Amino acid sequence: MTPAGHSGVPVRAADGWPRWPGWKNLPREARDTLFQLGVIGWTVLPHLLRLPLWCAAMVLFTLGWRALLAVGNAPLPSRWTIISVLGLAVALTAWSEGTLLGKDAGVTMLVVLMSLKMLELRARRDALVVFFLGFFLVLTHFLYSQSLAMMLVTLGSVWGLLTALVLAHMPVGRPPLAQAGRVALRAALWAMPLVAVLFVLFPRMAPLWGVPQDAGGRTGLSGSLRLGGVATLAADETIVMRVRFEKEQAPAQDALYFRGPVLGHFDGREWTRLPNAFARMGQPKPDLQRKGPALSYELTIEPSRTDLLPLLEMTPQAATLELWQDGLNSRLRDDMQWQLNGPITDRLRLQATAWTQVRYGPTVFGQDLESWLQLPRGFNPRTLAWAAALRADDPVLAKGDAHTLAAAVMRHIGQTGFTYTLEPGTYGSQAVDEFWLDRKQGFCEHYAAAFVVIMRSWDVPARIVTGFQGTDAEAVEGWWAVRNSNAHAWAEYWQPGEGWVRADPTAAVAPERVRRGLQLQKPRSLVAQAMDSVHPKLLEQFRASLERFDNRWNQWVLNYSRGQQFKLLSELGFDSPSWTDLSTVLIAVLSAGAAAAAGWAVWDRQRQDPWARLQMRVQRRLAQLGVQVGPHDAPQTRAQRVRQVLGPSAELLALCLDELDRARYGTHGTSRVNRQWWPAFRKAAATMKPRAASAA
Amino acid sequence: MRAVPSAGDSAVDQPSALRPRRERRSLRRRIVGWLESRIPLSDTWTLTQRNIYILPTKAGWAFCGMLLVMLIGSINYQLNLGYLLTFLLFACAGVSMNMTHATLKGLTLRLRPVHAVFAGEAAQLEVVMTSPNTRRHGIGISFYDIRRFGWRQGFTDVPAHGNASARLAMVLERRGRHRVPSVTIETRFPLGLFRAWTVWRPALQVIAWPRPETPPAPLPASQSNAGEGHHQRRSEGGEFDGVRAWREGDTLRQVVWKKVARTGALISRDSSAAISRELWLDWQAARLTGAGPEERLSRLTAWILAAERQGQPWGLRLPGHNLAPALGDAHRMAALDHLALMP
Repeated sequence: MTPAGHSGVPVRAADGWPRWPGWKNLPREARDTLFQLGVIGWTVLPHLLRLPLWCAAMVLFTLGWRALLAVGNAPLPSRWTIISVLGLAVALTAWSEGTLLGKDAGVTMLVVLMSLKMLELRARRDALVVFFLGFFLVLTHFLYSQSLAMMLVTLGSVWGLLTALVLAHMPVGRPPLAQAGRVALRAALWAMPLVAVLFVLFPRMAPLWGVPQDAGGRTGLSGSLRLGGVATLAADETIVMRVRFEKEQAPAQDALYFRGPVLGHFDGREWTRLPNAFARMGQPKPDLQRKGPALSYELTIEPSRTDLLPLLEMTPQAATLELWQDGLNSRLRDDMQWQLNGPITDRLRLQATAWTQVRYGPTVFGQDLESWLQLPRGFNPRTLAWAAALRADDPVLAKGDAHTLAAAVMRHIGQTGFTYTLEPGTYGSQAVDEFWLDRKQGFCEHYAAAFVVIMRSWDVPARIVTGFQGTDAEAVEGWWAVRNSNAHAWAEYWQPGEGWVRADPTAAVAPERVRRGLQLQKPRSLVAQAMDSVHPKLLEQFRASLERFDNRWNQWVLNYSRGQQFKLLSELGFDSPSWTDLSTVLIAVLSAGAAAAAGWAVWDRQRQDPWARLQMRVQRRLAQLGVQVGPHDAPQTRAQRVRQVLGPSAELLALCLDELDRARYGTHGTSRVNRQWWPAFRKAAATMKPRAASAA
Repeated sequence: MRAVPSAGDSAVDQPSALRPRRERRSLRRRIVGWLESRIPLSDTWTLTQRNIYILPTKAGWAFCGMLLVMLIGSINYQLNLGYLLTFLLFACAGVSMNMTHATLKGLTLRLRPVHAVFAGEAAQLEVVMTSPNTRRHGIGISFYDIRRFGWRQGFTDVPAHGNASARLAMVLERRGRHRVPSVTIETRFPLGLFRAWTVWRPALQVIAWPRPETPPAPLPASQSNAGEGHHQRRSEGGEFDGVRAWREGDTLRQVVWKKVARTGALISRDSSAAISRELWLDWQAARLTGAGPEERLSRLTAWILAAERQGQPWGLRLPGHNLAPALGDAHRMAALDHLALMP
């Protein structure tokens, strides 16, 4: 122990690092700061995993630095240091995100700002700013994930932030963290009924202004496709919709293609929709010929916040059964994709009939097919050369029709060592060349894109179709769930005399993906492997129960929307529930709660502390005996008065009072009033009464 | 803690001086003063729903704004968990309002008796807070002064079923009897979004003695024992040959050495009996300086202190009132009180 340890000088070891004095010996301010840093670190953590590397490094460095300053009781850095670091952060954000606006850039800035603000905690007000920023940061997590796990993580954050807030308002001494934590928890628990009422009854409304473009990050369908941008496809198990077939006639999984955006224009990097595909809207296509049996089905679409309606191929007609969203209309595009005029913000139920076998599209090559032949110049030259060589070398292919050519490509995929993987790594600007000829690793998008490029190079009109393929293996009460992980991309090519024909190149490399609707599983973690070897069933059961819970979570919390609200109202007896009914019920419930609280307050005002009531009763009783005592006299003082005024005959009474004094103020005294005391005292007083009267 | 005197400190019998040069401030103070005067004076103050006020703090309004932004964000991005978080924070704020109010409710305040002080010196007020049930956190205490709301306040916790006391210092600039200024008890516990407070007007009054003159003028000359004072005291039946334990200020001549030798303890002759010459501190004599009445009172005060230090019995002659020569704390305080309350 150095002499400095006894003075107020910050304790430093010889190498300049502050010495850790132990959690119990930390000064209160340092302890509180460390706690705040911990809470903020926890709050920022889920973001750190997806933020740019520089941002994560900067945040970790800042928080660590602040912790060192707190432990060493060192002065905070100057304001100019912080401002220059902030400037650096803004520049880096602009560089890495390409903009300062939007969701990702905003979150990056918020995280940096929050950690820097910790370096500037000078007054109580600064601490409050940090806590408020923290609450806001918690909200931003939900932009990326609303899973149950995220909910639990953020609950921890909220509790921590509330605790820190409580701690900031306990200015005396060194209150234990647990005490502040309990206060925060109590507040949160008391808040629960109000939270439940508001969550259930607060009217859900459509976005107040245009939905931000970056809001659709949840679904696998975006209306465009860029190869190589995604190194790892996250398996998002959120349910997009549920489908039920009439008479339980579920078709085979490999027939379940839910059609989303059709991508025809390729600029070398990105596939997008053709600009003018709305030739005739809303009408069944005249060039659609239905073959085979009709398939009636019902579809419940969760609010996906995208403006497309993925219906089964091919669905020429659909009727909505339940539509809670005002002004939502659907129309059928030229390419047989159903389009909405606005994003789906509420659950949607509809009834439709599909024909899985159709003949669709022009039978004769016309001008409208030329746009499906477009290829950008200067991109993927090696693939084009490979395709030209393949066709030139093979006389069958040289004269073959589109079917033959497509079969040749499929054969090539199946025979030359292609791998289906969710983690293909990133691709450069010549993505198709790299994929097709070098790495041969990719998922559905890569195969579909390569297939279309090759077909087009042979002058066969072709296009990419995105959507969902397959459902869960098991139906729940007749409903088959389609998840985001069922998102898929396949291709269509045009065959003269037949029209558009579907080709799914992924089926050539990973038939199980299409046949069973299953995406490849990611490599299993070490823990899962270990658990498997110990008890193979256990993990399976655990996963199953977790998924069941997650399903309920999705259904009751994440997708709770106006539809459910109105259903609740109609169960309450409203004939045609409306927005105003909802508000009326909400206001009525809140008013009833407020009235109950007010009633309790009135009752509570008349209620008296048991001790004070007892004291008053004793005072009144003694006054009847002719002993005047003050309202706040301790029982012992009263006993003395009794002895003075009434003499030895009142010794029993005085002893009673002495006992009361001991029970309250003695070494084991408690504030709880012993219920047997008052009857005993009254009995003692009753024996006194005649004498007191005679004395008077 | 140290409160700067304000209008509340002015002597009870003097109207508070309102400066006309700041019209608006004056009007505001007048309103505040009127509001304050509606609160009854009391010795103890129990906090109930009737006398606790509660309003959001600046942080509370900021929190409210943040909730609004979060609600709009949740609507626009259609985040049900966002709704949940917003409602949770909103409800927590509501609960915290209740908790802030409950932190004060039920507390009882009283003041410990206050010693008189010289004008210009700090008088220590000790406010005792009693909680009938639970522990109360972060109770701030200050004088009720609109200009310095929330400033210069100390914080204390009140233990469950117990007392806590907090000291407030006030400087009384003028001599006389002063009412203790109104006291504000406030709290922002637990979340700082609301501030609950109460204003208490204690009925207690404090006497401020005149400020002693600095540097003190020399004491006036002593007078013969045969004076009026001696006669008066004799008629009171005072002791002539009494002895008592030695106390600080007794001169060596006062010590009864015989008794010391016998008992081993220092014994003094009772001064009233021992001293043959008496000192009269006279209002008229103090006038000789040619200064105003306040300065004269200051001089008399300084003389009293000097005479006490010397251990010389002294009497006080004031217009309309005389105090017979004596020594001791009770005598000194009685004389100082007289000076303080001179019209």
